Amino acid sequence: MTDLTFLSQFADAAFFWGSFIFMVACSVAGLACIRLSLKGEAVTSLMGISCFTTVAGVSLYLISLPELFNVGFARDTAIALLVIGALGTIIFARFFRSGD
Amino acid sequence: MIQELFVLIYAALIMGYVAWNIRKGSFVIDPSKLVLVLFGIFLVSVAGLVLLGSGLAEAASIIMKIGAAGVMFAGVIPMVAASVGLMRFGEEYGPNVFYARNHITGVVDTTASLVMIFAGILIYRLDLVAVGFFFFMFIPFVGNALANAYYYNFQRRLEK
Repeated sequence: MTDLTFLSQFADAAFFWGSFIFMVACSVAGLACIRLSLKGEAVTSLMGISCFTTVAGVSLYLISLPELFNVGFARDTAIALLVIGALGTIIFARFFRSGD
Repeated sequence: MIQELFVLIYAALIMGYVAWNIRKGSFVIDPSKLVLVLFGIFLVSVAGLVLLGSGLAEAASIIMKIGAAGVMFAGVIPMVAASVGLMRFGEEYGPNVFYARNHITGVVDTTASLVMIFAGILIYRLDLVAVGFFFFMFIPFVGNALANAYYYNFQRRLEK
């Protein structure tokens, strides 16, 4: 039986740091999205907020994984952000298009 | 500590490869071939570990987790590049810069959903795959709705 301890530890460390650095990149993208939503007009702000819900949702989903931080309730928030964020963007874009 | 050093080398290799692709503007290795090569490496690694005497499930799980980490590292560069693009394209580029920004937010959305899908497959988390796939289906509709809204808004403003 081969001892896989080193490889297992490497896999755990790689997954942790990969997720962590990806979450940091998502935070940088989130900052850019907030800047976009604060500077632009209505539709541009909607676009910025839509992008922000995406990066926030993905980061929250990664936080909820048991392999990482295991924050269980973040999963429901992430699903709500990802699904309702996309749907809400489409609905509000329809409102802006009609100009009502 | 030695594991972190290997993680650093692994991350630098993957990020360097992704940055090379972005710099070139097209794929360095065609994705259809790259996926086959990666699958072959996965099979050879698992077979090697099994032949050395470890369990099949444990070996596959470890190799797939390393692959999931690779997917995460690969997503970092497009995400940061998209953030820089969002910061750089200001109002000085005229009203049509909206469409460039729309494309950039599409890059962020696509990267995020693909990372969720492939990392979810590799760590056996089907809920992550399902949400990522569901979101991936929505991306074109969101981009189209936003571009449509901006176009008609802009036309109305021109008429006034």
